[in-house]
Amino acid sequence: MRLQAALFFAACLSPAAAIYPDEVNHIDFHHALLGTPSPDSTFFLKPSPASNASLLYTLSDKLLLGAVNPRDGGLVWRQNISRSVNSPAHGVGLLRGLDGNDAVVGAVGNYIASWSAQDGKVGWENRVSEGVVGDLELLELEDATATSGVRDTIAVVASEGAGIVRRLNGNTGKTVWEYKDTSGDVPFQVSSSSTEVFYISLQSAMLKGFKIKVTVLDPLTGQQTRQQILNTEADVATPESVLYVGANSASPIIVWTDKSQKSLRVNVIGTKEINSVTVDNTSGSEIRQITVHAPRKLNALPHFLVHFETETGAWAEVFHVDLMSAKVTKAYQLPYLPGQSAVAASVIDANVYFTRITDLEAVVVSSASHGILGRWDLQKPSSDIALHSVSEVVAKGKSVAVRSALFRKHGDWQLIRNGQIEWTRHEGLIDAVAATWAETDAQEDLAHELEVEGHETLYGAYLHRVKRHVRDLEHLPDWLKDLPKRILSSILTDEVSNLDSFGVARSVIVATKNGRVYALDAGKHGVVSWGVQAVGTSQWNVKAILASPGVATIYSDDGSSVTVDVFTGEIVSRIEPSNSKLHSIAVFEAQDGTSLATVGVREDGTPVTAFANEDGFLVTTSIDGRVLGWFAKDNKTPVWEFVPPSGERVVDATARPAHDPVASIGKVLGNRSVLYKYLNPNLALVTAVNEQTHTASFYLLDGVSGKILHATTQAGVDSTQPIASVMSENWFAYSFWGDVDGSESSAKGYQLVISELYESPFPNDRGVLDSATNYSSTAALPLPHAISQAFMIPESISHMAVTQTRQGITTRQLLCTLPSSNSIVGIPRPVLDPRRPVDRDPTTAEAEEGLFRYAPFLDFDGKWYLSHTRDVAGIKAVLSRPTLLESTSLIFAYGSDIYGTRATPSQAFDILGKSFSKLQLVLTVVALGAGVTVLAPMVRRKQVNALWRA
Amino acid sequence: MVVSAIQDARTPKSWREETHHVIQTLLADRFMACLPQQHISAMHFSLSSLVLLGISSLVSASSLTITIPASSPLPNPHVLPATSHATLTSLPSGGKDHILSASLTRSATFVFHDLPSSGPDAQPESYLLDIRYAGDYVFAPYRVDVAADGSILGIWETFRGNPWDNRGAEKYIVDVAGKKQIDVVVEAKVLGRKVFYEQRAQFSPLSLVKNPMVLIAVVALGLMFVMPKLMENMDPEMRAEFEQHSRSSPITGATSNAMAGGGFDLASWMAGTGGPNPTANNAAQAGSTGRDTSGPARRRG
Repeated sequence: MRLQAALFFAACLSPAAAIYPDEVNHIDFHHALLGTPSPDSTFFLKPSPASNASLLYTLSDKLLLGAVNPRDGGLVWRQNISRSVNSPAHGVGLLRGLDGNDAVVGAVGNYIASWSAQDGKVGWENRVSEGVVGDLELLELEDATATSGVRDTIAVVASEGAGIVRRLNGNTGKTVWEYKDTSGDVPFQVSSSSTEVFYISLQSAMLKGFKIKVTVLDPLTGQQTRQQILNTEADVATPESVLYVGANSASPIIVWTDKSQKSLRVNVIGTKEINSVTVDNTSGSEIRQITVHAPRKLNALPHFLVHFETETGAWAEVFHVDLMSAKVTKAYQLPYLPGQSAVAASVIDANVYFTRITDLEAVVVSSASHGILGRWDLQKPSSDIALHSVSEVVAKGKSVAVRSALFRKHGDWQLIRNGQIEWTRHEGLIDAVAATWAETDAQEDLAHELEVEGHETLYGAYLHRVKRHVRDLEHLPDWLKDLPKRILSSILTDEVSNLDSFGVARSVIVATKNGRVYALDAGKHGVVSWGVQAVGTSQWNVKAILASPGVATIYSDDGSSVTVDVFTGEIVSRIEPSNSKLHSIAVFEAQDGTSLATVGVREDGTPVTAFANEDGFLVTTSIDGRVLGWFAKDNKTPVWEFVPPSGERVVDATARPAHDPVASIGKVLGNRSVLYKYLNPNLALVTAVNEQTHTASFYLLDGVSGKILHATTQAGVDSTQPIASVMSENWFAYSFWGDVDGSESSAKGYQLVISELYESPFPNDRGVLDSATNYSSTAALPLPHAISQAFMIPESISHMAVTQTRQGITTRQLLCTLPSSNSIVGIPRPVLDPRRPVDRDPTTAEAEEGLFRYAPFLDFDGKWYLSHTRDVAGIKAVLSRPTLLESTSLIFAYGSDIYGTRATPSQAFDILGKSFSKLQLVLTVVALGAGVTVLAPMVRRKQVNALWRA
Repeated sequence: MVVSAIQDARTPKSWREETHHVIQTLLADRFMACLPQQHISAMHFSLSSLVLLGISSLVSASSLTITIPASSPLPNPHVLPATSHATLTSLPSGGKDHILSASLTRSATFVFHDLPSSGPDAQPESYLLDIRYAGDYVFAPYRVDVAADGSILGIWETFRGNPWDNRGAEKYIVDVAGKKQIDVVVEAKVLGRKVFYEQRAQFSPLSLVKNPMVLIAVVALGLMFVMPKLMENMDPEMRAEFEQHSRSSPITGATSNAMAGGGFDLASWMAGTGGPNPTANNAAQAGSTGRDTSGPARRRG
């Protein structure tokens, strides 16, 4: 109790233990993710005409637009476009950049905007009212109106029955001219050469297939100058049949194949002629994919490469276009190689280079001749399939250097520089749906041995123990060998004590939606130690993930489960799916806390199986918004059922965390009297909303009897905004958007309500429980005395959690995810004390208790931010886990970004921090020793003199 | 009911009346703005909003631009990151967008294009404007009232934790004379900066010297060396008096004893047991000569 009082006092003195600047990147790690980069919206670009180094830009499938530093893989800036798009996402987005332009232009759905390439700030934005943006090109050609560094945009808008081509001013985004095609053709793409703008649409042929129609427009006025229709209806069945439409080239091309993929058809846009080239397929197997790589620059040579992939290998052919005759000729061939390969084109001045990365090597060739300019063996050949890549070539005299950003099928984005992997971004982690800390069995052996000793006779146990210690001696030489190094390093390095043995460095097992499982080492800045494809689905609906020593089991909604080894990622066992679809998974902990059992809950809230020999109970929610209570032995009829009042819909139910130790059963007041906490382990907090009346109700239920212990209703609640709630110990908290509800003093804004439950309103009194040592949920269960306080908070909270420590002595923090500022904040519980005095200053007794005056507005102090200045985006859940150190709780957040840190709500009172200098300590001891040796003779002489004088 | 009555009866006479009311309420608002903590009566508010509604149908949908001026806490607004955004939030009603968001532009502004409008019968909407990002500058929240047709009626500073009717400084108000202002520009207000990091105490020799333990040690050392010198320079009578005085004090007596080789039992002295220090007591009783003091010491030695 005294320790707790001391801790509490410490917490009051400095209400939060903020992070030190030198601990950033040391105790926390952050994976700022983008998602799968789209192949045609990823490129290297110099952010401004003046800069030398280029950045890697991409627009991902999650509609995240970002710039990555190719040097270290760090994120320079990021924009979430999905926030700006009104309509639900229309497939993939488009992103275009151009050397010499200081902005990138992107479009998704009906939204089109330009962002500064340097820092990602919005240049201009437009919402197209007529339809969705079909294609986008930046106009490289310079005309009299253009200013340097700013390029206009040509956009195709596909509206119903018409295609609109617009030229948008590069500075303002305003329409310069517009060309409307009302012929009913399918708007397809836009392209441009140095003198003309081409609008390409697909005209439905009489019977089937499409004819490609090219409309040539004047870039200054948008007037149609001529039109060409290519008779392609035999080859082009769907818009996807057209392989490539070039742009910003001296002679832009359209490429497609015939139906049997025997010959390649190439048309130089603006001409009538269709070149036909026979595909030289020597591999003998069927071509699976054909991709075309051509430079997108006006002054680049009109060369292009066609890459053919079969099931087992790939080859590429390079073609040249004759500018005068518009004839296409094959120049040379990159040989067929088994395995996967990815090709990218890059331009230096007018020269075009192609980079081919296979499983084993990276090769750079010039488009002009087949001579290999550079070849590097890959350091770590990967078995993971390379999907696409972009490259940047630097030529120095005769030799070249190349760096390629390669995206692999399993979600890794790698930068390979001259064959070396510079960095890997694990973009697959963006789909994380469940996570848990791995349990290791390092202590398991010792615990087992101690158990053996406990069960033996005194003599036998002694012998066993001596044997164990003798066995331990084999580690002695290693330990002695390490000792000088450990002493030296502990004095010299920043890290004072290695906390790994205190459970601080744990792996986190993360399951993602596309069927992958990753292990992140939280002790090593969250590096990915392994990743495996656990199931072959893209919609893995993970319901629970449980860790037991050495393994982790992931449960899916179809009743199947996968068990993986936490050290290697090896799949240990699988359980095949059952026929019933599960709504959730409940976890039963055995009485001794060793084994975990799971039970699936169907969508109607019934448990799939019954436990014959378990005495537990189960609270389930059904998909139609009922809350049901069950005995573990019976899965046929529920014990109780909670249905909210008509008009209300249950949106959420939460309970106390599985690990929720209570250090003190009461709260000591300033006058040494005690308020007893209402500690019921079977509580459930149910959130129900009424959309019509804009109210939200919170019901506190007893899980065994289904009795409502406490209920409250809030008015003016926006049910479309997140309503987060959490419960721990004897308190619960929830937040919502509260609007003006008619009463005079009501406010508009986000609110956080905290309620504490006590056994009675009076100190030193337990109400009806009196001196009872236990009580029953089924007999007369006393109602709690709830004390609540509401606070206005500056922003919305999408998820709440509570820090967990080993004994629960450390004050708790309410962990809130702030979606609009992309942060995670830990509000100290003493600040959220509902007993804070309202409209008066605290009395001396209250002040001693740590209470201070209530203020309706609770601003988030900067020191409460666990994520400090990091932009931790899209967090869906925050997990907390105790360590062997009482002061420290591990925090892991996932959902889109991945973030992990350590929280010390009452400061790190049991760790010697970085401010503790061992060197200083040693120096002090040495100085004291020196002082003693100097002073000792002096004192001795003095004593002797005193004796003689006497 | 009242709303529709005013809208239907838009005759010149009632129009004048309305204008009159507007001016009155505006004056009241300005006055109240000086006293932000005061409650504004519900009567005033409802009146002003009703009257403003009458005017609102005359203007068309507009855009709102929030500029960030250079201020003393934020000298260069261009340091804000690209993730900064402004949000307009209200309760969902009638299928309108109730959460609008605008990203930071290159000119350090936030632009809301085409504020949502609904039918002419709809109520005006009152939005909370916030500017947020994962960083340290904190911006003041604003209240933005938007008419049913999407034109802005007024923008005021607002105070969290206060009633919504409690408006602060007025940033913009619709022109009563009927001059249409489609694009409204207001300036954001920086309230301050958040401090995220704890500062680690830097090692400095001065802090070592300031340490009370070190100070005590220095004073003790000083006394040890300076006191004998002082004693020597002292008048002999005073010295004798001082010595006697110091012997009667248990601590100094004990210390001098201990220094003279006596065994002072600190533990028993601190425990306060009866005769913890017979040497000191004996010494004090025995007299004031050095010879007597050394007696027990010799006995022990």
